[in-house]
Amino acid sequence: MNAVRRGIRNAFRNAMRSVGVVAILAVAIALSISMLVARDAVTTKINSVRASTGNTITVSPKGFFGFQGGGTPLTTTQINGLLNLSNVTAVRESLSEQLKSTQTSLTSPTPVGQLGQQFGGFGGASSSSASLGGGSSATTTAFSIPIRVIGTNSPGNAVEGGANGGGTEKLTSGSAFSPTSKADVAIVGGTLATKNKLKVGSTFSAWGTKITVVGIFNAGSTFTDSNVLMPLATVQKLASATNQVTSATVVVNNINNVASVDKVITKKLGSVADVTSTQATVEAQLAPLNSVKTISTYTLVGSVIGAAIILLLSMLMIVRERRREVGVMKALGAPNRSIITQFISESTTFTIMGSIVGFIAGIAASSPITSALVSASGGSATSASTSGFVRRLGGSGGFAGGSSGFTPPTGATPDAGAFRFGGFHNTVTQLHTSAGWSTLGFAFIAAIVIAALGSTVAAATIVRIRPAEVLRSE
Amino acid sequence: MLKVENLDKTFHTGAGDVHAVQNVTFSANDGEVVAIIGASGSGKSTLLSLLGLLDAPDRGSIEIDGNQLANLDAAGRTTYRSTQVGFVFQQFNLIPNLSAKENVKLALEFAHWPKEDREARAEAMLEMVGLDAGKADRRPAKLSGGEQQRVAIARAFAAQPQLILADEPTGSLDKSTGQKIISLLREAASQQKATVLVVTHDEKISEQADRRLEIEDGVLKEIA
Repeated sequence: MNAVRRGIRNAFRNAMRSVGVVAILAVAIALSISMLVARDAVTTKINSVRASTGNTITVSPKGFFGFQGGGTPLTTTQINGLLNLSNVTAVRESLSEQLKSTQTSLTSPTPVGQLGQQFGGFGGASSSSASLGGGSSATTTAFSIPIRVIGTNSPGNAVEGGANGGGTEKLTSGSAFSPTSKADVAIVGGTLATKNKLKVGSTFSAWGTKITVVGIFNAGSTFTDSNVLMPLATVQKLASATNQVTSATVVVNNINNVASVDKVITKKLGSVADVTSTQATVEAQLAPLNSVKTISTYTLVGSVIGAAIILLLSMLMIVRERRREVGVMKALGAPNRSIITQFISESTTFTIMGSIVGFIAGIAASSPITSALVSASGGSATSASTSGFVRRLGGSGGFAGGSSGFTPPTGATPDAGAFRFGGFHNTVTQLHTSAGWSTLGFAFIAAIVIAALGSTVAAATIVRIRPAEVLRSE
Repeated sequence: MLKVENLDKTFHTGAGDVHAVQNVTFSANDGEVVAIIGASGSGKSTLLSLLGLLDAPDRGSIEIDGNQLANLDAAGRTTYRSTQVGFVFQQFNLIPNLSAKENVKLALEFAHWPKEDREARAEAMLEMVGLDAGKADRRPAKLSGGEQQRVAIARAFAAQPQLILADEPTGSLDKSTGQKIISLLREAASQQKATVLVVTHDEKISEQADRRLEIEDGVLKEIA
């Protein structure tokens, strides 16, 4: 019988003690497995949420509030400078302008409606007087909805984001103009094209210039499909807005770099621009999950160390109890190596038994423990932020997603983006726990670490035992 | 042949130095049984520890068949203990969760006997000491004191050592069983051509030895 077999056999020498040691180890290992599974589930959720937020940062003039005013336009020079920042792969610039009825041959397809009458002061063209309300008579200015023109250097992503209407433009006919085009061309929304009987090759006038339709797009909403997309340089020239930019979307190479790039842009343009990324909002929503992740990581490490300490103390007690036996074995000519191997085998046997029981118990307990952790960590804040999350992410024209129309950005597909946003109807606290080979691998490695740590002091004690002293005390 | 010369061992305690073994010189032939008698604390057990290389002497030499042992390193002392020395203790000191046969095989394992020979050798040794074959697979707790000491003797002789050190081997046994054990040690020493040193304070036991030595305050002298 070699040292390993003797060690395994010794593990069953005292049934009560063996059961006790294995049970305590199993509890510690079950806790660590549960924490690992919880950590994995939370990490997966966090990564999935982060991935779905997209890797873009929006830069707009400080205080800019769309066509309701505010802010001073940014310049092409300022925005182009962002391209030189590390981790920035592209910068999509746009300049939003309005074509009043006096400036174009186009007719807006959107009816004015009662709200239009109420808010008609925003730059409409005066055509007649009307009386609103049944009581006192008041003179108001009737107007028609102006045509929205977006100058862009990124056709295909121009309407992305709430400021430009939201949605994803898809060409239904014709082709897109080049990002650097300076030609008097336009891609018009489907609704606007229908209203004005425009086709590819048709022309219309804007700011006194004849514009040729090169494409027709559809973005899925009447508002967005009433827009006109034109080359940025063309709009800057025709609207007398040389070098002006009202919005820029900075594309970052990796989702994990969004926060750092956001910081750099804010530092660079913070005095003249509002810099926003969905990342910051999402991080706030994810704070409870990050908290769970931290707790589970500490508990995971703590439980493995705890298990090692339990085993260490147990083995120390066993070695001290068998001091005479160790002395006798040394007197018989057993080398320290052989005796240490025997005790390591014994501690490993305890650990393996504890790991098997603990693994099964840990897997069984992981789901309720994860739920409890998330509930306890998130509390009411999680519930509140969850509803905010769903509302924001589900709202039309809000987070239009990482998908794009003409040319999808690297690493994203339109459908995938849509799918992910659909997933947000589930709350961030709905996690799926699962254990795979990696969990089993962790259990194996943890068992080795626990057995190794648990045996060290025992081994050191064995080396120090002097047979002459032990046997003299007989 | 065992040859010991000028062996000294002093323990430094808080109460002062204790000269446990002082200038001990003696020799013993192969197959000879030598009894060492002395009162409690006279240095008997310390002398056995030195001869078994469980402790290092402060001075002097220990020689077996011309091989000097006092200067061996830790690994050399371990090898010496496993191959050249057999111990028999008063409290038997069998490993409690191993059977009688496994206890004997343990000594063979430490002495690096070939695996395939261990089983037969252990059975032969247990037969030599007169343990019933049916009791070979019993654990020590299921054996009487005399049977346990027989197993201990079988374990001590198993690897064919040249020196057997028996520390009060009959101390935990009744007189009749003690006599049988001493007879057994004599027979085994004769069969195996091993030198047996028996430490005892029992005059009757010592009288069965070939020679008698007395130790008093660490000083050894021959008794006529």
